[in-house]
Amino acid sequence: MAQVESRLDPVTFEVLKNAFGNLVDQMSEQILRTCYSFVIYCRDFSSALCDVNGDTIMQGSQDIAVHVGTLHLTAKAIIDTFGDDIHEGDVFIFNDPYVGGTHFCDVRIVRPVFWEGEIVAFTLTNGHWADVGGTVPGSFDISAKNHYGEGTRITPTRIWDKGRYLGDVANCLVANMRGAEDRLGDLRAQAEATMVGQREFLRLVSKYGKDTVLEAARECQDYVERITKARISELEDGTWDTVDFIDQDPEQPEALIPIKVKMTIKGERVAYDLEGSHNYIGCFLNSAYPATLSALIAGTKAFFPDIPLNAGFFKAFDIKMPENSVVNAPWPVAVTGFCSGVYEKVQAAVIDLWSKMMPERAMGCAFNLEYLLIGGWDRRASSDTFFMWYDWMAGGHGARSHKDGCNATAAVFGLGLSIQPCEGQERLSPVLTSEHAIMTDSAGPGKHRGGCGVVKGGTVMDCEQSVMSYCCDRSRSIPFGIWGGLPSIPQGLWKNKNTENEEFLGAIFSGVPVKKGDTFIRPSAGGGGLGDPLERSVEEVLEDVIDGYVSVKRAMKDYGVVIRVNDEDLLDYDVDYLATEKERAYIRANRIGWMRKDPMEVKKSLALGEIDLLDVIRRHGVIMDWGTGEVLVETTRQFREMLEQKTIAFWE
Amino acid sequence: MAKFRTAVDTGGTFTDIFVFNGETGEVQVQKVPSTPDNPSRAIANGMEAAGVHMPDVDLFSHGTTVGTNALITRELPPTGMVCTKGFRDVVEIRRSTKQDLWDHYKDVAPPYVKRRHRLEVEERVDYAGTMVTPLNDEEARRVAKILKKRGMKAIAVCFMNAYMSGVNEQRMKEILQEEIPGAYVCTSNELLPEIFEHERFSTCLTNAVLGPVVGDYLNDLTSRLEGMGYRGDVLVLHSGGGVMKAETVAQYASRVASSGIAAGAIAMDQTAKMCGFQNAMGLDMGGTSCDVSLTYEGELRMSKEWEVEFGYPIRYPSIEVITIGAGGGSVAWIDQGGSLRNGPESAGAVPGPACYQAGGEKPTNTDANLVLGRLNTTLLDGRMQLNKEASEKAVKKIADAFDMTTIDAASAVLELANANMCDALRLISVTKGYDPRDFALVAFGGAGPLHAAYVARELEIPKVIVPRYPGVHAALGCLQVDVRHDLTRTYLVNSTDADLADIEQVFAELEQEAYQMLEKEGMSRENIELVRNMDLRYVGQWRNLNVNIPKPIESLDQALQIFHNEHERQFSWSNPDQVVEIYGLRITAIGKVPKPSFARYEITTNSTPTPEQTRRVYFGKAGGFVDTPVYNREKLVAGAHLTGPAIIEQLDTTTVVPTGVKAVVDEYLNIIMDITG
Repeated sequence: MAQVESRLDPVTFEVLKNAFGNLVDQMSEQILRTCYSFVIYCRDFSSALCDVNGDTIMQGSQDIAVHVGTLHLTAKAIIDTFGDDIHEGDVFIFNDPYVGGTHFCDVRIVRPVFWEGEIVAFTLTNGHWADVGGTVPGSFDISAKNHYGEGTRITPTRIWDKGRYLGDVANCLVANMRGAEDRLGDLRAQAEATMVGQREFLRLVSKYGKDTVLEAARECQDYVERITKARISELEDGTWDTVDFIDQDPEQPEALIPIKVKMTIKGERVAYDLEGSHNYIGCFLNSAYPATLSALIAGTKAFFPDIPLNAGFFKAFDIKMPENSVVNAPWPVAVTGFCSGVYEKVQAAVIDLWSKMMPERAMGCAFNLEYLLIGGWDRRASSDTFFMWYDWMAGGHGARSHKDGCNATAAVFGLGLSIQPCEGQERLSPVLTSEHAIMTDSAGPGKHRGGCGVVKGGTVMDCEQSVMSYCCDRSRSIPFGIWGGLPSIPQGLWKNKNTENEEFLGAIFSGVPVKKGDTFIRPSAGGGGLGDPLERSVEEVLEDVIDGYVSVKRAMKDYGVVIRVNDEDLLDYDVDYLATEKERAYIRANRIGWMRKDPMEVKKSLALGEIDLLDVIRRHGVIMDWGTGEVLVETTRQFREMLEQKTIAFWE
Repeated sequence: MAKFRTAVDTGGTFTDIFVFNGETGEVQVQKVPSTPDNPSRAIANGMEAAGVHMPDVDLFSHGTTVGTNALITRELPPTGMVCTKGFRDVVEIRRSTKQDLWDHYKDVAPPYVKRRHRLEVEERVDYAGTMVTPLNDEEARRVAKILKKRGMKAIAVCFMNAYMSGVNEQRMKEILQEEIPGAYVCTSNELLPEIFEHERFSTCLTNAVLGPVVGDYLNDLTSRLEGMGYRGDVLVLHSGGGVMKAETVAQYASRVASSGIAAGAIAMDQTAKMCGFQNAMGLDMGGTSCDVSLTYEGELRMSKEWEVEFGYPIRYPSIEVITIGAGGGSVAWIDQGGSLRNGPESAGAVPGPACYQAGGEKPTNTDANLVLGRLNTTLLDGRMQLNKEASEKAVKKIADAFDMTTIDAASAVLELANANMCDALRLISVTKGYDPRDFALVAFGGAGPLHAAYVARELEIPKVIVPRYPGVHAALGCLQVDVRHDLTRTYLVNSTDADLADIEQVFAELEQEAYQMLEKEGMSRENIELVRNMDLRYVGQWRNLNVNIPKPIESLDQALQIFHNEHERQFSWSNPDQVVEIYGLRITAIGKVPKPSFARYEITTNSTPTPEQTRRVYFGKAGGFVDTPVYNREKLVAGAHLTGPAIIEQLDTTTVVPTGVKAVVDEYLNIIMDITG
């Protein structure tokens, strides 16, 4: 074993390292048990211990991915703003995405920790508040062009002054938010959690001495830096690039919005360059620098799952982002929807790049994070309150190098973010869920299938003045497959489907009025496939059909496997091997031609009922406005270009 | 004729048997290899080995891992599920989270029943329990026939909002029983009428898959015991810290899914009380892992969040046990960043620690203890030899990496193991608002007493108790418990709108139900105790706090005050001005079982024991190796006292008494160490 250089004895270091981890997890436990925002309760929050410079020493083991690269920037924003004017007993509040936040809903509380009159650390918590004001309930306004319409922007602000609670300031802030009382509850829960962190840190200092504890903190960062760089230097040097897309800029003619990521590995360092990414767009799916940084780090981290995350990790990376771009939007461009927009695309792009580097940990594209909000007045018999039905779904993850993707799992954006129980939602809001189920054929086909997505529908019950908003994406930039794998399905919401008032509202909209009796339904996509679907074993396809993950029809069309149904009740199915061989040969001989067929011809075939919507996407790579059936010409061109590289190039 | 009580704790490797003589108060213990293919065989073997004549036994109580193993290995009977249309995937979608947030290749275990066997019927009630769509009888019968054709042995019926109304579920159950006589059918409403579909469905489904497994096993065990002449009840320990009679277990099978783990915690609690401590923590350290538990003011800490496998909660109150990978066989290693680590990887029984010389070369805690002289090279009365040189060779790898001596490296390895255990104890105490300085530490399992004094010192826990038979101590837990059931009702109302009379009424209904359950099990009223609990939270909060409520409730304010106080204690803040939401009402029903009273030995004052030998043992940098007296525990009489450094050896356990620590043997032959000295 290698000789190890360390300034502390190994036991003291390991003990303190674990104690720091224990400390932040204690902070998280406190938040979880006392918070008021259900978004926080479902684990959209994080906790951190930072050093005197604001750099992270330790983060919570169950923290949501989306916050990881921003917590140190938050602490630094406080330090930069207040400088010497930070005192024992002070607590600060902050949510500015342009300086070191993610979006306005993520409200951060920062507490300096003092020992004998000097700052020795900062404890910090970040929680997604259910509402921070703005035009629509839940603060996700797709139509916002700049931050003034999105919510309350909190630049670094003192909220406790030398131990004195500044109630006037707090009240002024929450007066701009829906559910002001609950917001004060969240503030309290988070502030107490930073107190728990402080108490534990000071316990360590009084026990081991200030110098030893601070040395251990430094050593924690050095240790992570060392291990990260050691891993990177084991990899071959080189440059790789990839592109993923946001669906559109609603203010511009149809076209996918490219997000480009170039990765260069040289020695013990990784450089990410996002040059070539599109300019910022006319809706809130943009991201400011901190959140994009977080996406790069979180995407990378998936390939180094065992390395603890702190400032040491960041030291192995060089980051470049073009000014005024969709990934580096300047103030005051709207960025609240970054999580469904840029964040997931950058993360998917990074996972795509590393899948080339480490094929044994490869993964196809996952479904897109989405938030559906219905808000208004609850007029059920026993109620007379303002309600907020605020929902997000599980979906399918991408297929992997030797196994299928995970069915119905939290978004890659945060694997600890749990969905809400429908029974809880029905009690609190006049919305009756009609189904919450795994969706047949939602997974991208491949030698290894993507994970299945989920479909959720509902009926609006007694209410008044209610509106619906949706923050999603990938209605056009459908989750892609890799190494010959096929895409899954488009996301997007249908209102009153299968009625004469049927309407496809797409993947982003806000403030759509709804009334009693309206229905809605939307899928979360499955994950993209990996490898050629014609190489999937027939037994696996058969099992998928028996479980209803794949239909008999798609088994034939996507996998070329012909299955006979003898007795559904007895689950008696079998494979027609002869027909399967023939079908596979037929698909193999024609599929590249299908993918290059004139999109207008494809549209015609669809109208004649010769093919269905999944054929349009998976056989022909054509993207339409799913509501009107119009072919999106430029979007299709871009989508097909992507398919050529990620899928068709791998077919024999 | 002697009357015996026996307790059996079936573990993965060994089946531990504890025999208590009701007339003399004497205790006998026995350890036999487990027989996983049919665990009741090992039990019979053990009884024979212990020389127990079954007709003389008047109580048999049992902790078992049959349920846990069936779930983990998925050796389950053909099981179907019937759900509300649109909701058959609730148990597969779960809450959608993964346990490992970063590793995309680490998957959540699949649900206990495949999608193909989860069928749907048209039916619906709303959030208030009002019928939206009645069960379609014809469709229900069609579904039942399909399940019959598929040969299903067990079926879980799980409908939306069934916590408010079980009418449709009940009707479905009747139809299933008519169509498939003999099938095991349970409904979510009858098992756990609590809000949140995944948690309730998961509990119900776990119950369904375990019903036949546990039922068959207990039938077999019961008839085997009867064949040996046993005439009493077979009592089975459940995760809530009580026992159920074998015939009740089948109905609530998911309650025994981690029967085995609860035993150690109960034994800890009882031993602490026996020694006069109302606050105690348990450190149960075996070969591969360490279980930590806590009792406060005489009550074991309970949790509602437990599961055998991640993602599939079983929502019955369960004794809170934190398990970490710190056992005698846990391996010390250096990670890529050059940091010294200990566990969770374990060398297990095979190949085992390096000193076993069975192929293991990695340094383990056992090796480190041997290098420092804390463990003898001879164990189990000479039946096992340990090779010290092999241990030194293994530990030297660590020493070389850090440029230290082998002795210092061994010491470092143990300090880390201790630190990991301290973290687990902190998680269950400090994190929850308990101060370890108010507690005693009960140390058991084969390896617990080797480490306990150091762990206690680090956490400033003043006293360590080492029970008489640490290696089989957990089995004692099975002997010490009452019959217990937990009944629950979701009850949602703001404190401002709450009607005390109505709450009393619901409590009374639950209590009535509780009496019926216990009386069915042969309990008489005077032996029944019912405890009331309420789940409360501030309006707007998401997590409830469970508090104990007196009967009858004098006023709502009294109940609320209890909540405010507990919130303050646990979270350092409370807000008596804020409206509180009542969330659920619970009854803990206890049927008292007579407990054994252990033999008390007369204290011999001024008894200074004579060591068997002295050995060179390392007690840290300051003292270095010290000539240390080694005592034989069998010879330590009540009242014996000694001061560390000392080593106390018994068949399967070694107790380390560090320098300056005073140890006394109490009237029950427990060793009590005073760490404050």
